Amino acid sequence: MVVRVSTGRALLAATLGVGMAVTAQAASYPDIGPLPQLKIDKAKAELGKRLFFDNRLSGDAAISCAECHVPEKAYGSKEALSPGYPGNGHFRNASSLVNTAHKNIWNWDGRIGTNLNDMTREMITEDYIMNMDMRIMQERLKQDPLYVKMFKDAGYGEPSNGSVRKAIPEYLKTLTSTGSPFDKGAMSASAKRGMKLFKGKAGCIQCHNGPLLSDLKPHNTGVPENFDVFLDPMNHQAFMAFTMFQGVPDYRNLKRDPGYFNVTLEKQDMGKFITPSLRELKYSAPYMHNGVIKTLSEVVEFYNNGGGKDSNKSKKLKSLGLSANEQKDLVAFLESLSGDPLTSPKYVWDQPYPAEYPVIENWTQVRN
Amino acid sequence: MSIKKIAPTLVAVAVATVLTACQAQETKTGSAASGKSMAAKTAQSGPPPLAPLGAPPIPPDNKQTPAKIELGKILFFDPRLGGDASTGCSTCHEPDQGWAWAEDFSRGYPGTVHWRNSQTIINSAYYARNFWAGSVPSLEKQAPSAAKGGVAGNGENDIMESRLALIPEYRKRFKEVFGTEWPIIGHAWKAIAAFERTLVQRDTPLDKYLLGDKSALTEQQVQGMALFNGKAGCIQCHNGELASDQDYYNIGVPPNTRWEEDGLAQVTFRFELYAKGMTEEGYRTTKADPGFYFRGKNKWDKGKFRTPSLRYTTFTAPYMHNGVFYTMEEVVDFYNRGGFDEDGRTTAFPENKSKLIKPLGLTDEEKENLVAFLEAFSGEEMLMEKPAMPEYAPLFTRAELEAAQEEK
Ligand code: HEC
Ligand code: HEC
Ligand code: HEC
Ligand code: HEC
Repeated sequence: MVVRVSTGRALLAATLGVGMAVTAQAASYPDIGPLPQLKIDKAKAELGKRLFFDNRLSGDAAISCAECHVPEKAYGSKEALSPGYPGNGHFRNASSLVNTAHKNIWNWDGRIGTNLNDMTREMITEDYIMNMDMRIMQERLKQDPLYVKMFKDAGYGEPSNGSVRKAIPEYLKTLTSTGSPFDKGAMSASAKRGMKLFKGKAGCIQCHNGPLLSDLKPHNTGVPENFDVFLDPMNHQAFMAFTMFQGVPDYRNLKRDPGYFNVTLEKQDMGKFITPSLRELKYSAPYMHNGVIKTLSEVVEFYNNGGGKDSNKSKKLKSLGLSANEQKDLVAFLESLSGDPLTSPKYVWDQPYPAEYPVIENWTQVRN
Repeated sequence: MSIKKIAPTLVAVAVATVLTACQAQETKTGSAASGKSMAAKTAQSGPPPLAPLGAPPIPPDNKQTPAKIELGKILFFDPRLGGDASTGCSTCHEPDQGWAWAEDFSRGYPGTVHWRNSQTIINSAYYARNFWAGSVPSLEKQAPSAAKGGVAGNGENDIMESRLALIPEYRKRFKEVFGTEWPIIGHAWKAIAAFERTLVQRDTPLDKYLLGDKSALTEQQVQGMALFNGKAGCIQCHNGELASDQDYYNIGVPPNTRWEEDGLAQVTFRFELYAKGMTEEGYRTTKADPGFYFRGKNKWDKGKFRTPSLRYTTFTAPYMHNGVFYTMEEVVDFYNRGGFDEDGRTTAFPENKSKLIKPLGLTDEEKENLVAFLEAFSGEEMLMEKPAMPEYAPLFTRAELEAAQEEK
């Protein structure tokens, strides 16, 4: 999987002069390139797909994973800020799920570093996400004959919450980028020039490296706050509940997203977010953890200015002095990292779900 | 976020069962100590007679104040004390449905149905333990259990407390009542309990009669009362001020057939068995609500429920823990048959049926008199307007947010 950059090497590169750094960078960061193939169990992934699009996985049976992870948006949210579970808003952009199975750390703040099984549990049970008591979910699934069959066919036995947390990650593996000009070696001349800048003058490679174009490490780039998190009480209440749960001090008076600080509660991590992958950006606008940047040209402009304003900002970010054409080339390169949309029935469950739970006949005679 | 939502494996359930078995003793001594009427029954004096209802007990650590009661009232009606802000206390305890829900099973949280009948809030302040199986020891403990239960409010503390923090009127009222800068969710339950302690009815025809107003009951009702205290034997359990000895019996109520006919009800049924820590085999084979069994996991407690008060029952049909009877006539017929419904069905745990329940041999006229008397346990219907719900407002201004951004 992803080779992680050693911090020592990264620091060295950062302290060198810009010109020097360029050559050092090209040599020392894991190269960008195609993603490895993942082995997929078809029956399990098919089950995971049906679960992913099923409203009955949320407490009030009103929303599925796809409510926030929209296929047409590379399985991210439509708006800057994700919707929340009914009665709530949210305080972050829903991450794209394309290639999420290639990561080893999840969420914008990296608070889950184990596996997608835990990530799935978090999404299903979190009160402002799906607010589901998994014991009820399990009994709902047992009441659906097609699930009973699919769990059995997948080798899981009867439906259980434990196998839901295995089947959905299996499905997520199928959401892997395919067909990008970058992977096919079909980039335009402008995109090729952009790639050179990416690895060199623009210094993007320092953080966006390896096949995912991410080091999967936390950095503070000074992205401005999205004030809608605080001006809309629906979003703010979810934010407050979240930071309360994470144990952030004085969480009620917080006026910023603490990012990776949530995980470590260490000052030096304030405002850091895990470097996102740069694949499928064509579909996943708006950008950043809170969706404050609308277009890729604006993202490049943001970096050209040396990132945003934050006393804890990464020393890797400096004004880049890119010309208008160079900026265009960089955008062309970013666009070449997007492949085919994953919206066909191969990825999307397109059959209807039963409107009611069918009754188990002969109920008093059969075992529960 | 809470761990309760992560289903343990069935192995873990089995462990939990062993653990809760230790509570059996506690439960037993607990009920013996509180069951004064049990002692009374063995003594020669017989069960305590029906009596006028006094003031409800007020716990010393949750005194009644007008401001607290008013806050509790608003909270009781506020659906934001629940998961998706749709289902608050009053949703299942509707004032014009007897402060309960007028179907056999209570409505549930959206996407679910409950598995028990919704109990009235009226006079709930008098019980030493709440719920049909007495699973909680106070109204203060009952409220969070209702607000968080997966088929009830399905809320979580962190989100509910955050909502209160973003509603200026609540910030003001909590500060005034509890003295805290920010609303604390535990205080919400206290305020709701204080409000519930005002929902009592002490001026029924029966209270008036027992206080000396002999015209408060009709002649027929007086005859019904004699049956209640004598031939029909109701007084053995429905006694004292509350018309409840607060003890637990299996009186033969048959399982609700909805579990055989309704898929959604089947989902909840299995969930409840699972959540309440049945053994694997118990989970697989149980087909009726074991009730009081869940408290101590003693098999002789299967099918037992707390004797409910008979007060205010004119407004709280349907009756019993699973709402199988829609009228008082059906209830009286059920008792007259010795705990069988009209199809001859009885409890799924007949081995535990109370010896006190046997055919009564009441004539039609006697049954009518008894039903007439049961009406004397209810006074006027207690209706209440839903209070205005206080609104959300942003906590910070844009200028404050901009200043904070500058300081980053
Ligand atoms: C109500 C909206 C919502 C729903 C429903 C939802 N998610 Fe998410 N999801 C989000 C948001 C927002 C994030 C980013 C959270 C953060 O960074 O704090 C996220 C993050 C994730 C991530 C981490 C991605 C990464 O690469 O870091 C995964 C995986 C994920 N969700 C999977 C799921 C699955 C599977 C479901 C259904 C079981 C689901 N989500 C349902 C909003 C939602
Ligand atoms: C210091 C490490 C670092 C460097 C250098 C860096 N980035 Fe980033 N990049 C990040 C982090 C961290 C984020 C997420 C920030 C956030 O959401 O607050 C990000 C976000 C992005 C996004 C948004 C992705 C999305 O899904 O929303 C794009 C596009 C991007 N970077 C492109 C670039 C380009 C182009 C360069 C070079 C000009 C670059 N980055 C340089 C760390 C870096
Ligand atoms: C989804 C429906 C529902 C909601 C919401 C609900 N209840 Fe209930 N309530 C019930 C049912 C059903 C019972 C009986 C449950 C049992 O015994 O297992 C009950 C029982 C009670 C009792 C016990 C009465 C007695 O005689 O012991 C009280 C008190 C009560 N509820 C108060 C509340 C409060 C306060 C709230 C809000 C925090 C609330 N309920 C929310 C359905 C609901
Ligand atoms: C052995 C004790 C006992 C005796 C004797 C008894 N009851 Fe009950 N009563 C109960 C219990 C326990 C329940 C609740 C049972 C259940 O829900 O499964 C109950 C429930 C009721 C209810 C339903 C109340 C409600 O809110 O749903 C009514 C009405 C009632 N009894 C009336 C009577 C009458 C009338 C008699 C005499 C003919 C009588 N009871 C005799 C214990 C007793």
